[in-house]
Amino acid sequence: MLNNINLYDSVIENLCDELNKILIKIPHNHKLKTEEIRLRNGRPLSISYGGKDYFVNINGNLSSNPSNAVIVNERHIMDTFQLISNYSVYAYTEEIRNGYITIRGGHRVGIGGKVIYGLNGVENIRNISSLNIRIGREVLGVSNNILSYIIKNTNGFYNTLIISPPQCGKTTLLRDIVRNLSNGTEGNFKGFKVSLVDERSELAGMYNGMAQKDVGMRTDILDGCLKSDGIIMAIRALSPDIIAVDEIGGKKDAEAIHEALRAGIKLMATVHGSSLEEVRNKSSIRELFTENIFERFIILDRSDGVGTIKEIVDGYSYKPIFFRKSDLNGSS
Amino acid sequence: MGVLKSILLLLIFLTCSIIGYLYGKSFSLRLENLIILEQCIKILETEVVYGLTPLPEALSNVHKKGKVKVSYIFSEIKNDLIQNKRGGVYDSFLSVEDKLYNNLNFKKEDVETFLSLGRVLGTSDRTDQQKNFILVSNQIATQIFEAREEKNKNEKLYRNLGVITGTAIIILLI
Repeated sequence: MLNNINLYDSVIENLCDELNKILIKIPHNHKLKTEEIRLRNGRPLSISYGGKDYFVNINGNLSSNPSNAVIVNERHIMDTFQLISNYSVYAYTEEIRNGYITIRGGHRVGIGGKVIYGLNGVENIRNISSLNIRIGREVLGVSNNILSYIIKNTNGFYNTLIISPPQCGKTTLLRDIVRNLSNGTEGNFKGFKVSLVDERSELAGMYNGMAQKDVGMRTDILDGCLKSDGIIMAIRALSPDIIAVDEIGGKKDAEAIHEALRAGIKLMATVHGSSLEEVRNKSSIRELFTENIFERFIILDRSDGVGTIKEIVDGYSYKPIFFRKSDLNGSS
Repeated sequence: MGVLKSILLLLIFLTCSIIGYLYGKSFSLRLENLIILEQCIKILETEVVYGLTPLPEALSNVHKKGKVKVSYIFSEIKNDLIQNKRGGVYDSFLSVEDKLYNNLNFKKEDVETFLSLGRVLGTSDRTDQQKNFILVSNQIATQIFEAREEKNKNEKLYRNLGVITGTAIIILLI
């Protein structure tokens, strides 16, 4: 397992030589916390963490003032793009269509540029103008304290929905819950068979058929698969006890979830939102609430740092059964 | 004295014949290497277009599957790509340019065709890559045709010319 400094260094290996030599010089305490590295054509090189941007100068010093920062040029972006795509754009066409590439280690690189449409929707992104390298941090054990709230007796599980605004650690939490559910905990419960539908290769960080993140020993991964398709495929072929998906939202997702529940499979999902009320009013998934499908809601925010568990709410009474606790440091 | 002169004349004859033979041989070597290069490019096309194999691995596979006489070039391109963290594949293709001329007897047009592959390799989607492979394969096929014609025309000519030149020098010296 890479520590946070080695993790940062391994990620910037994917940047062109010139930027790599600058970014490797930034102070260690910043390396530990960096969440994103941003390359925008003609704009200052920056990193960000904790909701703040820092501009990087030629000596690797950070400042909130962009005046002395290194200006990213087209060459930097194209060379970096070649490196992150392993000189093989053809092998990443599907991912590029979705706006990102997953690199070794399971980190995601978002791509900005001219989007080319064809008969079947987005065909390609050309004239790449920006790259956003998101360092996905695996924080093992962050879900240990909340397992007792989502495990029913010793061999059951409550359908659970994690509600969180972006960048609050929901993917990190979901990944660790999946790992715990899959492995089981000694004396408490045996592991469940989990099917993980990882539409954006962010949870397991699959690279060349290998999960780069620990998602447990009883987990089957459907990588790059649409949630609605993945749920159905898992029901038909993988006989899971639990299906885990990130960021549900579409009507098709809701239909697939119904299908899973009819098959007696439990569900673990996340959704974007800042409160339970906000999520309940989303038209596409409102039905899931009216039918009381979810038995537990875990609500995250950043009030006490990334990954603050604001509360856990019971899905029947809608009353909180757990209050604020911050133990997720670093997130993806 | 007579023996020494005979040895000298024999050496002159052998040298002229060998020069003629080697020059003639360069035509057949070019043809042979172009045919192997065409096979290697076909292997690379399969890896890229049908296997979607990442380029460094695809280049290694070409080295393993192709005839080493030419396919080692692909391994060297891969090593250059990885070791020097090149921004583009073309720079790595350029790094083997001298070997294409000196070790494989390629002509300028052969080298340019091969380098043109380096300009586009890995930079676009599968369909576009396939079009480029077809284009390069067609060009190489044309060059193979020309190389074969040249070989048929020149190989024997230069071999004979070497022998004749050697004989002519001997006659003059006698």
